Parts: sequence; structure tokens; C-alpha cells
Amino acid sequence: MSYRFPTFAMGWALAAVMTLTGPVYGQTPKPVAKTKGAGQQQAVALTPWGKPDLRGIWDFATITPMERPSELAGKEVLSEQEATEFERQTLERRNPDRRDGGAEADVGRAYNQFWWDYGTKVIASKRTSLVIDPPNGKAPPLTPNGKKRAEARAEIMRRPAAGPEDRNLAERCILGFNAGPPMAPGAYNNNVQLFQTPDSVIILNEMVNDARFVPLDGRPHLPPNIRQWRGDSRGHWEGNTLVVDTTNFRDETNFRGASRNLHVIERFTRADSETLLYEFTIDDPATWTAPWKAAFPMRRTAGPIYEYACHEGNYGMFNILAGARAQDKEGR
Amino acid sequence: MRIYFLIAVVCGMLLASASPVSAHHAFAAEFDANKPIKLQGAVTKVEWINPHAWIHIDVKKPDGKIEKWMIEGGTPNTLFRRGFSKTSLLPGTIIVVEGYQSKDGSLRANGRDLTFPDGRKLFMGSSGTGAPRDGRDPTEPKQ
Repeated sequence: MSYRFPTFAMGWALAAVMTLTGPVYGQTPKPVAKTKGAGQQQAVALTPWGKPDLRGIWDFATITPMERPSELAGKEVLSEQEATEFERQTLERRNPDRRDGGAEADVGRAYNQFWWDYGTKVIASKRTSLVIDPPNGKAPPLTPNGKKRAEARAEIMRRPAAGPEDRNLAERCILGFNAGPPMAPGAYNNNVQLFQTPDSVIILNEMVNDARFVPLDGRPHLPPNIRQWRGDSRGHWEGNTLVVDTTNFRDETNFRGASRNLHVIERFTRADSETLLYEFTIDDPATWTAPWKAAFPMRRTAGPIYEYACHEGNYGMFNILAGARAQDKEGR
Repeated sequence: MRIYFLIAVVCGMLLASASPVSAHHAFAAEFDANKPIKLQGAVTKVEWINPHAWIHIDVKKPDGKIEKWMIEGGTPNTLFRRGFSKTSLLPGTIIVVEGYQSKDGSLRANGRDLTFPDGRKLFMGSSGTGAPRDGRDPTEPKQ
């Protein structure tokens, strides 16, 4: 698999440099290393054992969509004015106090509004998609097999749920919808805390309190017959980038329609004191006709990470299924 | 020309990001916005749980029969920020609840707001204040 990381790093480094407002590096007495990114030089803090320091809490909320809308074909980056207008319209569309859609739409919009925390900004580069490869900003076409599975899932979502298994894993509090791997900005809990030792990294997502243990000691992946909801992650350093390789998923995990043979490669690179660059590659020949890649910056945040009490008592699932049975009776 | 392009860009982005958040259950899966209800009853129990608190009330019907209703509110955190405290809803407290009944017609409802005997009114952070425009919400913009 080929990587286009240098090109990507240059873009982000440029964006990061442009948004810096003061002498950031002078504020930290920590040891620093120079990272080379296609002509750019950035200083990053090091751990006591000499690796780039990724520790801390990072916020990846953004309203930039994963895939570029068809209407924007060929439009890679928004202008300042376009970005501002997009942000304004997005906030207005999500305004829970709007009363212009009829009872169901108005109440539906307001319901759960205290949960939503999408963020309010597009990513710093103002790209129109988080997908950076293919260059058109869209995931590649599905394979015939991928299409068949997508249609089967859509059919399940169309009909009233026959049982809890018909509802998605996030509603069942088994997996979060943005915790990954790979992480992908979602409706709320877009925070992750990274812990680091010389031989391991822990990726703790605020969503569903998922903690992913990533050994760095070179041990092989689990045998193929052992499948896990969040796969099996192994990490290593490539220069100043932490690379995390994940396989051994279950069928049900299903990231954007992926199969159990999904192979995720995540790359974490510190850009500056406030920014962690996150990039992931999706490789699943059973689902997509080519590998694809997305990237976005994570911003340092004070935290803390809160407990996510997903469903205590789980009345929601009871009511959803009762609602589905009521729909059955009405013959809908 | 430039303006048109801006509009096209923004519309495109909005369409793309309008994909439903199916991960957190939707109001319409559980409740019926076209079945508004108003109930008066005595609190028997409150479950301060996530993602929604539940207030249990005994509602006395005109024929003297007691119906046991469950009213959904926002998160405990949301209710606290809306003005509820640990002692707001002690057992026996008489409250009037307005909200929307469950889709299957069972004795469960999504609470919009709640009124205490002294007239104090609190939104339950569940579907209020974003309820349909009906003039009851003092923060509602005038049309």
C-alpha cells in the first residue's frame, strides 16, 4: 500500500502555521524534536523516553463532512467566506428552537438537543471533505459484495425493528458511533485521551468509555479466529508518527459498511503544541474497490473526559420496540 | 456568479452533512408528536438516569382509578441546569405534566414541561423548549 503522507503533512503543517497566533514553542520547557514534513519544520514535545508526546485530551469535533458532496465535485477547499456561510447555515439548521417544520419535525429536532455537540467549525484547512484519497473526496465505489450487504442493512433499517439486533450497535451501547477504529467526528463525545508508555499506548474515547490497548512491542496480531468488536490493534513508530494497525473485526462492527476483514491503519502525528494530526486508511477489498484515506486535525482540550452513561435501565430500547410493534399493528 | 457559487457550495455541504444521526434514538421511534397529553399526578419515584431521567406519577382518573404513568425528562444534568434539584420531586409532590404520549399508547410520555402546585414551571429538557409553537413558552419568538 502506498502512502501519500508527505503531501498531506505539508497541507496540514501549512494550515497549522497559518493559525498560530503567538510564540508557542517558547512556552514549553520540554525537550523537543524537529519533524520533517516536506520542507516544513515543526517542534514537538518529547516524552522522557524520547518519543513524540501524544499524551493529553484531544477534541476532534468538526462539521466538515466525511465525504465531499457531489455538488462540490472539483471544489477541494472553501474560501473564508464560503466556510463562514456554511458554518452559519449549519448552526441555523440544527437550532432546536426552530418552529417551522410541523409538530413532528420541531419536537424531533429539539429532542435530545442537550446531547448534541457537533462542533461549530469546519476543519482548519477548510477542505470540503475529511476524505483526502481518492482526490475526489469520496470513498471509492462499493464492490458488488459491499453493495449487497449495504442493501441488506438498509432493508433492516427501513422496517420496524423486529428485535434489538435490528438496531445499531451505538443504540445498544455496544460501540460508540465515532470511537472507531477509525475515529470519525460525530454528534457528540468527540474527545479522546491518549496515554503513552515506552511499550504501549491507550486510546480512551469519551464515547462509550472505549479504551483501546495498543501494544508497541512488536507482538503479532491475534489469530484470525479471534474477532473483537473494535478489532485488534498493534502500534509502532515511523519517525515521529505513531502508526496503529487494526484487524480481526467482527461482522457486526461494520464501519461505514466494512466487512470483518477491514484493515485500518491510523497515523497520529503532533503538528504543534495544540494540534494532533490524525489520518486513517481503510483497506477492505470485500467492500470497496480501492483503499481510501481520510484525515483531520485534533485540538488539545483541557478536559476532563467524562463518564458516558449510555443507557441506564435502557427504557429507550423498550420504547423503540414497543413503537415498532404499534407500527406493525397499523400495518405501516 | 460568485454569489451563486457560494450558494451552491453551501447547499451541497448542508445536504452532505444532513445524514441522520441514527445512533441516538429518535423521538419519533418512541413517541407521537401528534398525541399531546396533560396529566396531573403525585410523584411516586424518580429515576435519575442517563440518557433520560424518568419521573413516575400516579394519576387519578375521574372514576377514582389510579393510572401509573412514566414521564421521560432530559438527562439528570440537563434537569439540574433547568432548575430541578434533588428535593424538587419528592414522593407525594403533585405535578402537572405536559408532553407527548408513547407511540404504542402505553402509559409513558415524553415530558415537555412540568408545573408545581405553586405555579412554578420548569422545562424538562427533553423536547422543550423546542415544542411546537403554541404560545405557552415565554421564550418563544413572536411571529
